[in-house]
Amino acid sequence: MKKLLTIALVALIAVSAFAQGASEASKGQVTLEWWTWDATMADTNNAIIAAYEATHPNVKINNTIIPTDGGAYATQLAIMAQQKNLPDVFTISSGNLEDWAEIGYLRNLDELIAKDKTIFDQFYKGMFDAVKDVAKTDYYCAIPFAYVSCDLFYNKDMFDAAGIAYPNENWTWDDFVKAAKALTIDKNGDGEIDQWGYYGYGRYAEAQAWVIANNGTLINDKMRFEPDKNALEALHFFTDLVLKDKVAPMPKDMTAMKYNNIFPNGLCAMFVDGGWQVNDFRSKIGDKFRWGVTRIPNGPSAKETWTFGWPDSYVLSPTTAHPDEAWDFVKFAAGGGLSADQVMGGKLSAYKAIVESPEFIDMTQQPYGDMELFREHANDKFMTTYTKSWSEWTGYGAAENMGFAGAVDSILNGEDSFDGAMKKATDGINKILSRVYP
Amino acid sequence: MAEKQKFKWHSWATPYILIFPTLIGLFVFRLIPIVSSFVLSFSNWNLIKDPVFNGLENYKELFSDPDFWVILGNTLKITVGYVVGGMVFGLLLALLVNNKIRGMNFFRAAIYMPVITSSVAVGIVWLRILGPKYGILDYLLKMVGITAPYWLQDPKIALWTVTFVQVWKMSGYYMILFLAGLQSISTDVIEASVVDGASPRQRLFRVIIPMLSPTTFFVFTVAIMDAFKNFELIYAMTKGGPQNATNTLVYSVYVNAFSYFRVGYAETIAWVLMAVVGSLTLVNFYVKKYWAQPLE
Repeated sequence: MKKLLTIALVALIAVSAFAQGASEASKGQVTLEWWTWDATMADTNNAIIAAYEATHPNVKINNTIIPTDGGAYATQLAIMAQQKNLPDVFTISSGNLEDWAEIGYLRNLDELIAKDKTIFDQFYKGMFDAVKDVAKTDYYCAIPFAYVSCDLFYNKDMFDAAGIAYPNENWTWDDFVKAAKALTIDKNGDGEIDQWGYYGYGRYAEAQAWVIANNGTLINDKMRFEPDKNALEALHFFTDLVLKDKVAPMPKDMTAMKYNNIFPNGLCAMFVDGGWQVNDFRSKIGDKFRWGVTRIPNGPSAKETWTFGWPDSYVLSPTTAHPDEAWDFVKFAAGGGLSADQVMGGKLSAYKAIVESPEFIDMTQQPYGDMELFREHANDKFMTTYTKSWSEWTGYGAAENMGFAGAVDSILNGEDSFDGAMKKATDGINKILSRVYP
Repeated sequence: MAEKQKFKWHSWATPYILIFPTLIGLFVFRLIPIVSSFVLSFSNWNLIKDPVFNGLENYKELFSDPDFWVILGNTLKITVGYVVGGMVFGLLLALLVNNKIRGMNFFRAAIYMPVITSSVAVGIVWLRILGPKYGILDYLLKMVGITAPYWLQDPKIALWTVTFVQVWKMSGYYMILFLAGLQSISTDVIEASVVDGASPRQRLFRVIIPMLSPTTFFVFTVAIMDAFKNFELIYAMTKGGPQNATNTLVYSVYVNAFSYFRVGYAETIAWVLMAVVGSLTLVNFYVKKYWAQPLE
């Protein structure tokens, strides 16, 4: 009797499950898996899903957020790729685009774009093209949702107190050094500097940003590390800020606090880093002091303005069973379904209506009108340093004291000469690059 | 007859059925990964492509890389510093708290507290304490006219600073082990040594420490293994820098696997680490018979 009952129950469950599946199929019900990495965007993602599902009752979106800490997101995504089970839509870092495109893990979007006549009325085509450049593909493989740029943050109160005009895009590097010298102050006369004109170290978003501002390149056409004349000029300028001009501290002197707390703590007047710091500085600085953001001044050898920046993008799985639904949803998530206040401050949406809306310049909080800069970036010439094994040679994340960043820091900390550190960096980086670009 | 009925469910297969879940766990989560990791150490694998067998290439690359020898040296230095420091401080603390005075449990708990505190949190706090210019220790030393060195930024000092913090964090654990050992020593023996006129120093070195030798052996073995697992503090405090000065084998495994996605190469380093730890443990067991025997 017991056996019969068990068999009947199992059969009932199986039939119900089959019926459910059949019912979903008959209704054309589609479930899309959507992977992202930013836990702070959970509420925004839920709002996107609610809005999308309300107008698309046949589509269900499952959002999985895995933080990037310790490489967790990239590792889990790689495992899913290995299992040929990638989510339908997922976020990808620019640093992974080339590797992933080469293996064929990024869906070719050309056909979907060709069918979509209005796509470039809605999105900046230049940003799509820039993604293609980073991925080194001859087809569109990603839809950018946030462009990040490296810019110059400055403390307006310090500039006012020193009687110096705020930095602007017409500044030369001489203007920068002159201002930085005037802003480097020993306030209590104890022989130690209390306020530095500038702070920077070997981190990619800082040292490499100056190289790009001078139209320099670190990697040559043969994919070998060979800083050109402009890059070397920029790196000399950058390291001289500490060693010769003495307007910035040695990085090793500032390790008691996180690198992006130095500017908010009022210890330096100027700081270069990614636009995502806008959001961070808003919460850290509050009303403690007034601050602004502008372009990094072009270097003396720059023939045109290059912006060091890169996109965070969404891509579609090459194996998704629902490419049309995924494409429709990704356009919504990348811009169509967002309002200006849902885009992280300092990140540039690729969706024209958001960037051009009055709300994009949030006049209720700092840096007020300076947010116009990010709108201007929409038409910039973006440059990156991304290659395969970029994290390894550049010194990123858990390896931030190694690679190129470690070499620059060893110069700034007075542990190695410029030539010595560059020689070591060249040998080490080319060993890495020759492995991935034989 | 009654006995037979009581165990009628028992058959020759019963023990196998009972240990089956454990065996599954052992195979799936231990043995298979260990074997896979060894096989992968002979491959080029970046997680997204299929692994490609490359023979001894990873081992050749590792042993010809000058950085590897620096990293191996760092690992051995940190091990010596940690094992000696952990055992000495653990024993001293155990001797201190092996007293029946009021409030002693509070001190035991307080000393043990860092052991159960997150290593990353400990690392961040020590980073703030030891940081130059804006660190608490630098500030205090400056008040008495001393200029502090760059504890974590000077390549000559950084490794020993990290070792010190690790010893500080883990001494409470070894204290508990030594305390258990101390409390198992018969009071008769201690009293006999007092009656025989042994000074406190003689009592410590001639009676207590020799009688602790089985515990000391255990602590020594555990400390060696702990020393090689020093990852979180390095991640939180130095990220292997400056200039590889605090990079260790285990940190290198992590960076290669999860920052560079050179999983095959990371497995190679892991197996070298395994060989080093295994060799030291074998030597330890071999010499045990000469020193880890309680006095008759």
